[in-house]
Amino acid sequence: MRQDDQTRKTDKTRKDGETGLGRRQFFRALGGGTAAAAAAVAAVPLGSTEAQAYDPGNAETRSRYRETDHVKAFYRTNGYETLKK
Amino acid sequence: MARMKFLCDADRCIECNACVTACKNEHEVPWGINRRRVITLNDGKPGERSVSMACMHCTDAPCAAVCPVNCFYTTADAVVLHSKDLCIGCGYCFYACPFGAPQYPRVGNFGSRGKMDKCTYCSGGPEADLSVAEYEKYGSNRLAEGKLPLCAEMCSTKSLLAGDGEMIAQIYKERVIKRGYGSGAWGWKTAYRETIAI
Repeated sequence: MRQDDQTRKTDKTRKDGETGLGRRQFFRALGGGTAAAAAAVAAVPLGSTEAQAYDPGNAETRSRYRETDHVKAFYRTNGYETLKK
Repeated sequence: MARMKFLCDADRCIECNACVTACKNEHEVPWGINRRRVITLNDGKPGERSVSMACMHCTDAPCAAVCPVNCFYTTADAVVLHSKDLCIGCGYCFYACPFGAPQYPRVGNFGSRGKMDKCTYCSGGPEADLSVAEYEKYGSNRLAEGKLPLCAEMCSTKSLLAGDGEMIAQIYKERVIKRGYGSGAWGWKTAYRETIAI
């Protein structure tokens, strides 16, 4: 019993120190503060730094192939009967 | 809409590498990069076959699927192109491609890689057609000029076909009907007797 009384007295002494917080309360308060900071960081919008997928315009993806005389000559010389019909 | 395709008639390819040389010259491809290569199977043995390989411009391109910066796009001609301004040279597309098409210039010591380079089907890149910037990054844009890829146009044995997929498939079918395929082709038995069949 005497030892318990002594411990309580010591805790009380620490609590009454300059900070006004006990040993356990101090870490509890610190933990709560960290969680609040993490929540604040998560709440920051990321829209400004988000990577944008490459969206090629119509000009880049448009068809460039044309069946010109040059191309027809290629088909004709490569096939036996192609383009003869 | 025409779909651009390459088709190499392996019965005709003689491994002359003219397609490789023509491609390098036409696009001024940097040292150490081959947009097109000729692969030879059973080299030096009866039944040897050579196939000219480059980017096959896949319909569902695995290079585009793995690219972390989405620099690939497919044109209306079904040609797979990429933007060198966005490419970060990570090398993922090289591992994803089953044909080994993506190549990287060596830009410094310690193995550092530059922007990826691959076959463009002679149709340039995202820059304006036939511009200097396009030529410097991707080479010439023959499709915009109304021509076909030079590798196919240069092929002396007419092995490499390029153009509208339906058209070149028709040409190849006509060849097979006319001459046969593999060991059934005209001249095969004269060259190899009947002991080798493919």
